[in-house]
Amino acid sequence: MSNREDRLRSLLDKVRAKRPEERATRAADALDRIRTASGTTSAAAVHSSSPPAVQASTSSRPAAQPTPFPSTFPTQLPGSPLPEPPTSPTMDSPTRYSSQPPRVERPLSVEPRARSIRPSSVAPTAPSQSRRPEAIRPQSVAPTGQPVVYATEQPEFPRAKTFGELLELTLSLRPR
Amino acid sequence: MHDGRFDPSGFYEFNLTDGLVRTRTGDRVVILSEDVLSALVAAAARDGDLTPLRRLGELLGEQVLAGLDRPSSVLSPEAVLGHASAVTSLFGWGRLTFERWGPALVIALRDKPELDEDDLGAAALLGGMFSEISQRQVSCVPTGDSKFVMVDFEVAETVWGWFKDGADLPAIVGMLEAKRAS
Repeated sequence: MSNREDRLRSLLDKVRAKRPEERATRAADALDRIRTASGTTSAAAVHSSSPPAVQASTSSRPAAQPTPFPSTFPTQLPGSPLPEPPTSPTMDSPTRYSSQPPRVERPLSVEPRARSIRPSSVAPTAPSQSRRPEAIRPQSVAPTGQPVVYATEQPEFPRAKTFGELLELTLSLRPR
Repeated sequence: MHDGRFDPSGFYEFNLTDGLVRTRTGDRVVILSEDVLSALVAAAARDGDLTPLRRLGELLGEQVLAGLDRPSSVLSPEAVLGHASAVTSLFGWGRLTFERWGPALVIALRDKPELDEDDLGAAALLGGMFSEISQRQVSCVPTGDSKFVMVDFEVAETVWGWFKDGADLPAIVGMLEAKRAS
């Protein structure tokens, strides 16, 4: 096999001398097959780190090195997707919004009266869950029910003015 | 009178023996024809002295106050209007009503005697009357169509100038704005 290898090597050199661009890859492939078969690949495989895709394409390089290390790419590929999923903002937002949204949104969208009733019945179940204490917060928001009480009393505000109030108003008129 | 409504009964006391006419408050009054009164008022307006008419208005205001059981400032506008319109009617000065134009209080005096062209006589009368009723110095400025806007006396001259320049009541009210007294 070594004689055959020598012959092939010399043939490869000849071919490189004539048309190095076209024949190089084929000869290299044949040479590589011989090496793997004879078990003498150690020296030739050391300086081949380019990917096979490059070799199969235009291959402008002379003596395109074989690519015995495809495993190097898979080890890097898992590394790249990992930084994407974490998306630290989504991790931070639950911790921030889990406590505040109940305070801010509920008094606006839900009637304060309905809110003020629920905490009394929901409160016993709340401690069983880890984050539930924040659901009880509407109890502290319940005082927003007071404006509703005032709103029911407001019809008294636009009461009929007295003559003195009308007089005061008209006497306060000044040119713009 | 105790129920807040004006009672016109017995308002005048006619003393035929002495030839006197008095109101129930004791004030002596004289009944004049409209023609005579208008001539007198027109002359006063030309001279720029409508003090007598303002004084007459104050006398009417005293009659109104005599019929009120509480200060006018705490009464409803309807209550004050009821008494004021009754008194003006009894003195033959026409039919008095209130109107509100935004923040402005407007007095309408329909079927009043034709005294002077600019209604300055009626304005002086109403000014004196409501100054007495409110216990404050007020002016009633003619704004056409037998209507008078009630304003502070310091503003009266300006508002009168607007009306003389052609501004109607809505325009005049639009040129005024309420300002809190300092």
